[in-house]
Amino acid sequence: MGCPCALHLEADATSIAQAAHAAVVVECMRLERKYSHYRDDSLVARIAASAGSDIEIDDETADLLDFAAALHAQSGGLFDISAGALTRLWDAQNGRLPDPSEITLALAVSGWRRVQWRRPRLRLDVPGMRLDLGGIVKEYAADRCAKICRDAGVTAGVVDLGGDLALIGPHRDGSAWVVGIKAPHVSGHAAARIELPRGGLATSGDYERALIVDGRRYSHIVDPGSGEPVQSFASVSVVAESCLVAGAAATLAMLMGRQRGGAYLRELGLPHLVIRDDGSIDGDIVRIA
Amino acid sequence: MRPSPSLSLLLAASAALTGHAPARADETGSEQYAGYRFNVYGEDALSAPSLGDPRRYEVYSQQFLLNTPIGNRNTLSVNATHEVMSGSSPWYVLPGPDNKPIQVLSGATIRDHRSAATVALTHDAGGNDTTTVDATYSQERDYHSTALGAERTLPLNAALTFGFGGSFSHDRIEPTDAVLYERVLRAQKNTTSAFASLSLVLDRHSVVESGIQLDYQSGYLSDPYKLVSVGDALDSDTRPDRRGEAAWLVRYRHAVNENAALHLDTRLAINSWGQHSLMLEANWYQSVSGGWQLVSGLRYYSQSRARFYAPFFAANSGPYFSSDYRLGAFGAVAANANLRKRIGRWEFSAGAERYHASTGYAIGGTTSADPAVVSYSRVFAGLDYHFD
Repeated sequence: MGCPCALHLEADATSIAQAAHAAVVVECMRLERKYSHYRDDSLVARIAASAGSDIEIDDETADLLDFAAALHAQSGGLFDISAGALTRLWDAQNGRLPDPSEITLALAVSGWRRVQWRRPRLRLDVPGMRLDLGGIVKEYAADRCAKICRDAGVTAGVVDLGGDLALIGPHRDGSAWVVGIKAPHVSGHAAARIELPRGGLATSGDYERALIVDGRRYSHIVDPGSGEPVQSFASVSVVAESCLVAGAAATLAMLMGRQRGGAYLRELGLPHLVIRDDGSIDGDIVRIA
Repeated sequence: MRPSPSLSLLLAASAALTGHAPARADETGSEQYAGYRFNVYGEDALSAPSLGDPRRYEVYSQQFLLNTPIGNRNTLSVNATHEVMSGSSPWYVLPGPDNKPIQVLSGATIRDHRSAATVALTHDAGGNDTTTVDATYSQERDYHSTALGAERTLPLNAALTFGFGGSFSHDRIEPTDAVLYERVLRAQKNTTSAFASLSLVLDRHSVVESGIQLDYQSGYLSDPYKLVSVGDALDSDTRPDRRGEAAWLVRYRHAVNENAALHLDTRLAINSWGQHSLMLEANWYQSVSGGWQLVSGLRYYSQSRARFYAPFFAANSGPYFSSDYRLGAFGAVAANANLRKRIGRWEFSAGAERYHASTGYAIGGTTSADPAVVSYSRVFAGLDYHFD
């Protein structure tokens, strides 16, 4: 998953917890292999290689593509899984600002309008295009792992995939789990602690991958229309009934920027917490510390 | 409260995936909630020259709502309403001195009950592709109505959504005191409706929707309780047994800033009875501190008269005549304000509306009097409980 992951389980017997743990590891490896942006043998790589012709998509991926299409529509085009080329340009690992010509080239191989999606058939119109499902797969994986634990007989626990949480269920005495929301810019420090009995918590932020040039921060979250980074919050955290919905809400709010994103979160009505660059915190998540 | 439109979209879009991995399998499609509304509607007393009790309709209505998911892709909603109505109602119009109209109101105060229930089932096929079927039954002492409807929204691409649907209703009327007042003993009418709309995302702040609705009614379309003054005699309200209407609707939604949104709605309609009407509405949604939401709005409405409407008629008029104020020319302005606040699992809402109608507000004015044109006030309060 490319991030620190943790699994907290409470079970009647160690063997039950161990079986659940093994099943979770297998599931994470399966999703990693299928959707990784960095592997040449992933489904994502096969889709990229088939650009220009139709490819038939399995049900699970089709559901992910339907979800991505819905997020694209709801965000007015800001959420775009076909904008991977742009995101990579602004990745912190590059250490430099992209040239305007690079942005123009990346824009030419991005854009959901260049993706023909008629379930179950998919076609990328332009060779060089590549889908990036990273914005939703990690949250989906967290929900999947929680389901697998419940199926294995574990009723209490938390799946934590790099700060995106899916609750298996509350503590066995019925009490909620106390979970931390990461503080931007301060490694290992929690900005807030909240009680979460079920559902999911997801955080979207630019604090881990922001590009810093001449002291100025450039978010890796890019407007697919302009190709430029969005001016947004340092991080957005959302609580929802699933980690997938929480993650989608947090990502869309980040993409919409400080003004529209704040309004979107309030309109959604989901508990949320936003942290701005100056460290100020806003939102209606009930914090206990 | 239903989930906000944005959250409904997110939940619907994620249902297939969270179906693979339901945090709680029974709650992935939509929210489970129950609600209660209490509504008081009161018409202004008649100020024009009149005979009879000038106090007009008052309606007290109670509404119960339940919304619950069934499996991952279906949502059932049930809406039950009970109303108690009382007051006198416009009966007929007599020519007074100088042919000034005098409104005659029903002598006895009418008191009636109406009970209605609607059951709707929505299936979400994923990707904002939804199908809803609904059935409604409504009953009064003298009136029974059964309606069935279906509609579908179909995303054409990321920005464009096509919606279409239709409904059919069958109404049976058995007027009270029919023999005593020589009213029709029993009658029925059918209404068929169809609509289609296109919704376009203009940019990340704005959505516009445009649609056409067609209605066709046939059967007994007159009001059995109303009479018409024709020459020196009184005759029954008599309308054509068919009526077609076409309406064009445009809706615009714009997020003005992070705390406010503007909703604009307009409806333009024309019908085969010679009436045309226009509705313009603007609502402002404002979030204020402490989690309160305030919605305030203004509405304007204008209609022309039906070609067989007049306050009273000369002898040998016909074959159709009606002096029902609802078929005359008038205009109306309305203002409303609603307030909403959620505390934990409970959500409280309250609101008020004032509607003022006058023949003078009609576009282009009017040459024919409409003495019973009605103004009203309405207040409501509601309480919803969200199960999770």
